[in-house]
Formats: sequence, structure tokens, C-alpha cells
Amino acid sequence: MSHREFTSQRELPSRHLLGTGTPMCAGCGGLQALHQVYDLMGEKSVIVNAAGCMTLLSVYPCTPFRSSWLYTAMASAPAGAQGVRDALDILKEKGAISGEEDLSVVVLTGDGSAYGMGLSATSGAMDRGLDFLYLCYDNEGYGNTGHQYSAATPHGAQTATSKGSLGYPGEKKDLFAIWAAHNPSYVATVASAYPLDLARKVEQAGRLSGPRLLLSLAPCPTGWGYDPSETVEIGKLAVSTGIWPLKEYRDGKIVHTKIPQPRLPVEEYLKRQGRFEHLFTPQRNEGVLAAIQSRVDRYWEDVRAQG
Amino acid sequence: MYRIRFHARGGQGIKTASRILGTALFLSGLEVQDAPRYGAERRGAPIFAYVRADRKTINERGIILRPDLIVVSDDSLMAMAGAGVAAGADRDTVFLLFSEKPADFWQKEVPLAARSVLLKPPPEEEQRFIGAACAGAAARLLGMVDAATLAEAVTRELTPLGAATVAANLDLALRAHQAMADQSGMVREAKEHPVTASAMPHWIELAAEEVPLSAPVILAGITSGIVQTGLWRSKRPVIDPARCRRCWWICSTFCPDGAIQVDEEKRPIIDYQHCKGCMICMTQCPARAITARSEGEETEGGADR
Amino acid sequence: MTRELMTGNAAAAWGARLARIDYLPAFPITPQTEIIETLSGWIGQGELACRMTTLESEHSMVTAAGAAAATGVRVFTATSSQGLLYAAEMLYTVAGWRVPLVLVNVSRGLSSPITLEPDHNDVLAMRDSGFLQLHCATCQEVLDHVLIAYRLAEHPQVRLPVLVNLDGFYLSFTREPVTVPGQDVVDRFLPAFEPGDIRFRHDRPVSQGVAVLGGPAYSYFRYQTHLANLNGVRAYETIVDEFSSLFGRDYATVEQYRCADAEIVLVMMGSFATKAREAVDRLRESGRKVGLVRPRLVRPFPVEALRQALAGKKGVAVIDQNISMGKGGILHTELASALYGQPGAPAILAGFVGGLGGRDIAAEELYAMVRVVEQAVQSGVTPEPRLLYTEEELRGVRGLQAVAGTDRRDRGGKK
Repeated sequence: MSHREFTSQRELPSRHLLGTGTPMCAGCGGLQALHQVYDLMGEKSVIVNAAGCMTLLSVYPCTPFRSSWLYTAMASAPAGAQGVRDALDILKEKGAISGEEDLSVVVLTGDGSAYGMGLSATSGAMDRGLDFLYLCYDNEGYGNTGHQYSAATPHGAQTATSKGSLGYPGEKKDLFAIWAAHNPSYVATVASAYPLDLARKVEQAGRLSGPRLLLSLAPCPTGWGYDPSETVEIGKLAVSTGIWPLKEYRDGKIVHTKIPQPRLPVEEYLKRQGRFEHLFTPQRNEGVLAAIQSRVDRYWEDVRAQG
Repeated sequence: MYRIRFHARGGQGIKTASRILGTALFLSGLEVQDAPRYGAERRGAPIFAYVRADRKTINERGIILRPDLIVVSDDSLMAMAGAGVAAGADRDTVFLLFSEKPADFWQKEVPLAARSVLLKPPPEEEQRFIGAACAGAAARLLGMVDAATLAEAVTRELTPLGAATVAANLDLALRAHQAMADQSGMVREAKEHPVTASAMPHWIELAAEEVPLSAPVILAGITSGIVQTGLWRSKRPVIDPARCRRCWWICSTFCPDGAIQVDEEKRPIIDYQHCKGCMICMTQCPARAITARSEGEETEGGADR
Repeated sequence: MTRELMTGNAAAAWGARLARIDYLPAFPITPQTEIIETLSGWIGQGELACRMTTLESEHSMVTAAGAAAATGVRVFTATSSQGLLYAAEMLYTVAGWRVPLVLVNVSRGLSSPITLEPDHNDVLAMRDSGFLQLHCATCQEVLDHVLIAYRLAEHPQVRLPVLVNLDGFYLSFTREPVTVPGQDVVDRFLPAFEPGDIRFRHDRPVSQGVAVLGGPAYSYFRYQTHLANLNGVRAYETIVDEFSSLFGRDYATVEQYRCADAEIVLVMMGSFATKAREAVDRLRESGRKVGLVRPRLVRPFPVEALRQALAGKKGVAVIDQNISMGKGGILHTELASALYGQPGAPAILAGFVGGLGGRDIAAEELYAMVRVVEQAVQSGVTPEPRLLYTEEELRGVRGLQAVAGTDRRDRGGKK
């Protein structure tokens, strides 16, 4: 990974490393994020995957990667990364591979694994100070099985298992805070609608060692109910309404890398998606809309107060 | 037994089509089996579903190998080898095709489609209900489902999606049913293949082979290019070189599939073999240099397909 | 070469040490913990050049084990009982990766009710995972079979993970004399791991554990794993020949004790088989033609050797220290399918279940089982499967039930 500071979009890579022909849906926000991260992360890596949409990136005999891949199971991708990292270190100590031949170890999972089944393994990997990069594509539901709600589903969203008029009754779990509470080297949220912010964070992660975790919003036309062409607009609205804060955690401090100003009403984001349609028709659900807005307002009040 | 196979693209509601037909036949007093076939395919990829109907208990299961009726909701699937539209068809098989092209064109293109029936695809705003049209037309071709029963089946299957969806689907299904009035009962029940006509399978003794041959591992990079996801597309983005400002990065960075590379002169080049037609590039291009063309339309040169 | 008293757990640790393992992903669980503690001690004292990582679960432990093996180092790990089941998904998964590693399981009964004492339900629940299974009867066999397991796992015609099983308590915590071979001989038998193409490389991508679509590809890979597992029989035979010439101890896929002229044969697995050996001697002294058969390999199942060992016998008593709920003893079922329709197959194949959750099998019971089979041979009628359980044991349980308050009709519980 080259060590440089991105200052302009025009410095983004013009050569794309991820192969085409994958079975991800047209307009997949997760694939968009992966392809942007992969361009910077480079080929000298082993990608360790947990069950999710992206498990189907590598279906025999096809892979879009130039680097290596290991599919583990839904719960234990970070443990797979541990095994690979430990073995590479052993091989280096023995002189069986040179420092030049070393590989970086990258965990790639969806929110289903990251927020739930795989959280214990992620926590353990951070406890052990594992030197790895974690990329979570957060499409806010169990996407690969038809978008049932997960612990990443936002309040009020309809999913295949929250079809009632109120949608998902729970609140989206704050995985960023849970990860940061482990005090790893680096945690950041990213959105592929903001490729420069994403690139800077990938570069920042690349300069550090130890546990480095990226939580990427992954707008999902299939599960969220919008036209595939709108993936970037949806991602931008998630940020400009303040619903998806772009931030990073390093050395015990949280820094917001983009403070939406002016901050658009959350409705601008919600009304574009089929999963929130029930909040607007047949009549507006003012209670839920106000609850979502006030939660976002409170978040940014706190950010300002802590300024 | 009647064996009906539906071919469509992911997202065209073919599972619904098979269920409407299944319910309609069931309500008409037949024993029925219907199922979709799932794979790793996503929206736009070729998929299929099937229905069996008989007067007695159906014991056969799984994929229909010898269909009596093949319903194809999207004529671009006909030329796609991977879609397997014509698999198992013989001269008695009826093809129901939604196509703007004439019947003799398809008889030339797909010789097995000797008995083909054509329907014009619904207008764009009704495209997402094409499954109902498939079911309605198929029901009439089988000649065993009247309009009232078809309406009941549509209502039963779609009520959870709301009254408006039911109404739109009913309209399309009944129109397709009506349109097939002259061909009612055209589908013939195939004769069952006798045991004596069956050949011994060519079973082999599978020998142990060494790793890596015998393991599910891939020892090469970026092999996924062999999958032509461009076939999923219903619309194609076309770049107008005169309007392109060669900012170079926007369309190519936002293309989720990495299907837009830029050349040395910073010109974006779309890889149509793999572009899935999401049209993100069109919505993001600040110069509005990218427009959408329908896949059916002839494009200049046409060599980029 | 030294001969010393050591537990089965220590013997397993010695096997790993002599195999010069590179990597030890670990998680504590009774009665296995002593193995990883012993290895950890040697690592700490600089006697063993190995990296140990304690994971947060057995599921993660086996994931890390498989991932490290796929990266090209020699991996050892160990667990028991609930831990083995917690890791179950990953046993099936890493077997499909076709990478070599050795896992020692210290057998312990499964919950519920939870117990610390041994039987074979844990290891047999993993029977179909793709791991080869070697079952040991003595602490010496444990040490030797860890070494043999690496040869098997790394054998080019096998290339699968291998599980070495020893019984909790009866071996894990029991000291008996074990000959510890010298490192130089072990190095000759088991040279340093040569991973070949098993590794992730910067210049040659490897995609491991990928999905497949469609039955034909899935069937091919799954059946290849089965065929590789079956290759383990021939590979084991070759490896133990070499072992014998270097170490002077003989092993076979199936142990046969006083079987040649036996009319009645006891069949069982694991450490209680040595008790059966003793019983055979006593029965022979009383003039009965009795022998013992014990499969060391359970996967691959040594079908040919078992058929040969049992051909022409009048009756067989299969003693299962496990129970398949709703069917019965697992070894009994396995043996029946191996023998059915074979020329010379014994007419009587009687099933017994005993030793669940550490319950002892007394010598008298072994004699009695032989007697039952002798009577069945006379009558020609195979007896119904029997649980080894006495009136006295039930009385003891009734006493516990009285305290638990579950024996009262009103079920109101003690106030």
C-alpha cells in the first residue's frame, strides 16, 4: 500500500483491481465500497470471508480477486484471519517467506456477521491485538437470505421479517462504539458515495498496524427498495441527513470527518426507499419520523457539545 | 401430466407467475406442483420456475426435463446459452414468447420453437407485472382455467402486496388470458416415456484424485470475467464522447462492478460484457454525457455487445 | 529414548512436541486443558518453538487451526466434548479445505445432563465430518498416534485433518508407563513439514473454501474427500509398518487379541478395550474360545480388516460407549453394515451399550456378555440390544430422585 495523503478526487486510482462478472446485484453499494477499498489495499492480501452476500464473490471456479481468499463460516472470519496472520508470522520467523512476500490479512463480512454472530470473534481478535483490516459492508439486514432484519437494521425499516406497519421496532446497534470500546488501532465509518473520505481512511488504516476496522454503509437496492441507479444518491443522503456519520477513532479520540452542513431532514433519505414507504403512505407516521429525526438531532447535539 | 416451465430474469416476478398458474390449476380441480429454482443469481440474471399439473397425484419432482409449454417473459433469453430456454423441447412443445419480433423469426432462430405463440410485451410501466401476463396466457394455452378462476388465483397470490398491485396484475393476467382465446387448449399432454425406452446411465467409478485437483480451490486470479453479467442488463449506458469532460474518475469510481476503466487519454470505456446496467454512471455523470438505451434498440455499430 | 510414567494428556503433548508443531490454537476445556497447559509450559521455557494463540471459542480455535494449516504450517490443537460440538461446523468446513492438521479429542459425555466423565458420543458426533479418527487404548498409543496422525494428514493421497481420540479420565488423567522416543528417530519418521502448494502467496492467488453451484460439482468434491479418507486405510498400514521398524511397536487398523481361533469375539473401542483384553485372558483360562477386536481407525472404517477378523466367528458382542438416540449403539450399526451378506459373517451380532458418562464396565459384565452371546449362538436368536445397568444403580438414582423431589405424585416439590 502506498503511503500518501489523498487531497483530491483526481488522485484516486484510475486502474481498478477487482474483477468483473460477480453475482452481486446491479447497483450493489457493498461491492462499490469493496472495489474502492480494494484499489487502495492492493493485491498482496488474503481476504478472509464470513457467510453473507459476498461469499458468492468466489464461486468455483470464479473469483474477482487478484489476491487470495479464504471462506470460513458466518461466525469466525476474524479467527480465520488470526490463523493466517499467525502462520505468516511463523513462516517469516523461520525465513520460509521474506518480508517482501508477506501478505496483509483482511476480513470481509456483512453486518449479519459483524453485528451478531461474528462479534465475539471480532472482539477476541481485537483483544489479541491482531494485525488485520476488517471491512464490514453494512446493508442493514440479512441481505443474502432476502433481507430479514439484523442488529444493524435501523428503527422503523421494513424487512422480510419486520413487515408490520411500524417496521423494525429495535434501534440499530452502535457497532462503531462497540469496536472503539476495544481501543483498537483504528476504527472508521465510510460510505462509497464519498470516495475521497473513504480513500483517506483506507490509507490511514494502511499506515497503522494492529486491529483496523472499517464500517461501510452499503446501500442495497434489492433490500432497501430503490432503483439501482440511485445507490450513490442514497449514500450521499445518508451522510447529509446525518444518519450515517463519517468519523474515525484513533488514540482514544473520535473525529468526525464530515459534518453535514446544512443537515437535511431525515425524511429526505427515508422517503426515497421502499423500506420506509409505510412511514409516508397511506398516511404519515409522524411519531416514528419524529423519533428518527430526534435521535439524529441528539447525536449531532452531542457531537457539537463534545466539539 | 402437463409440464410448464417459465423462463425470466431475476426481478420479473416469475416465481409469482408459477404460483398464480399453480393456484389457478389447483382451483380448477387439478393436482399441482410449483416451484422456483434459486441460484446465486441476482436481479436481471436468467432464472426459471416450473409448474406440473395432473389429474392424479404427482410423484415426479425437480427440474422439468421435457416441458409441454415453455413460457419466456423476455426474448433476450432465447439466444442466451446459459438460460437453457429450449432445453428438453421437442416438436410438440409450445413456446409462449413475449416479443416484438415475428413468429417466423423465432422459428428460424430456435428451430425447436415450431409451435410458438407470440405476445407483445406489456408497456414499460407494466413490465414489473409481466409474471401475471405469463400466468394468464399459459392458463389459457392449457385450456383448463377459466377467467374467473384465474382472477381468483391472482387475488389469492397477491393480496398481501395490496389492492393496487392485485388490480394491476389482474388486468394484465386477464388480458393475456383473453388474447390466447384462439389458442385455448393448444398445449398437449406429452406421452410418458416407457421404462423400456430408457437407456442405462453412463455411471463411472470416480477415482480418488490428488489435491488441489480434488479440492474446491482456485489457483488463479480474477477468473470471474468468464461470467457475462452484461446479459442481465435491460438498459445500457452509452457515453457521448462529445459531452464527456474526461473528469475520468466519477463514473469509473462509482461503477460497483469495475466495468468502467479509463484509457490513457482519460476516456472512460464501458465493458458491456460485464456492465449490469445499474445506471449509477448515468445518474452521477456531472456532464450528463451518459444516457440510457433500451437493450432491444439497435445501437450504432452494435459491436460493443 | 526414555520410559516414564505419564498421563494420556501428557502423552498427547509429548506427541505434539516431538512432531515439532509450529502452531497451537487453543481453548481450555476439561479434561483436555492439561495438554495445552503442558505445551504452553514448554513454549514458555523455550523447549518448544511454537506459537500458541488462545482463541475465544473452540469454533474460532478450529477456524484458526484450519486457516493456519492452509497457510502452510504444522498445526496442533485439542478439545473435548462440548468444545468439539461447538467447533462442529468448522470440523466439516476445514476438512473440505483438504489441509493437514491434528486435533486431539479427549472424550467426555455430552450435555444434557452435563458431565465431566467420558464416553464416545462427542467424537462419534464428528464421525461424518471428513476428519480421520484414530482411537487410542493406552497412553503409549496416544503419543505414537499423534506422530502417526501427522504422517496420515500430510500423506499426499489423504491430505485431510486427523482426530486422535483418548478417553477422559481413564487415559487423560491416568499415568502409566510410556516410552518417549528420541527426537532424532522421530525426525526420521516425521520430517519437517513440507507444505508444497499449501500456502497463500503474493504471486499466486489461492481461493480456498469457495462456494460451488450445482449438484455435480458438489458431489465431486464431497466424494473426493470421502475417497481421500478411504485412502487412509492403506496409508495407515504403510505408515505403521515404517513406525514399527523405527520404534519397535506394532500397530494395525484393527487390534486383534487372541482372535485366531476364537468363537466368540468382543468388539469395542478406546481404553476400556484393555479391560476386555484382561477378561479374554480370564475366559480363556476357563476354556472358552474368546477374543477381542478393537478398531483403531474409526474413520476410515477398516471394513476389510473387520470382515476378516470376524469371518467364521460364531457370535460377536459389540460394546458401545455411546448411544445414538432412537437407534442404539453406533459401532453396532456400523459393524452390521460392514458384515451383512458377507461370506462367513457371524450369525449373532449382539449389541450392548455401557460406560455412558464414565460408568464403569466390570469384568463380570464382560463375562456375562460372552455368556449371553454363547446362549444366542445355541438358540440362533440374536438378543435385543441391552443397556449395561443394574438394579443397584437404579436404587442409587432413586435415592437422588427422592432428594430432587421428582418421585412424588403431586410433583409439588418440597416446601
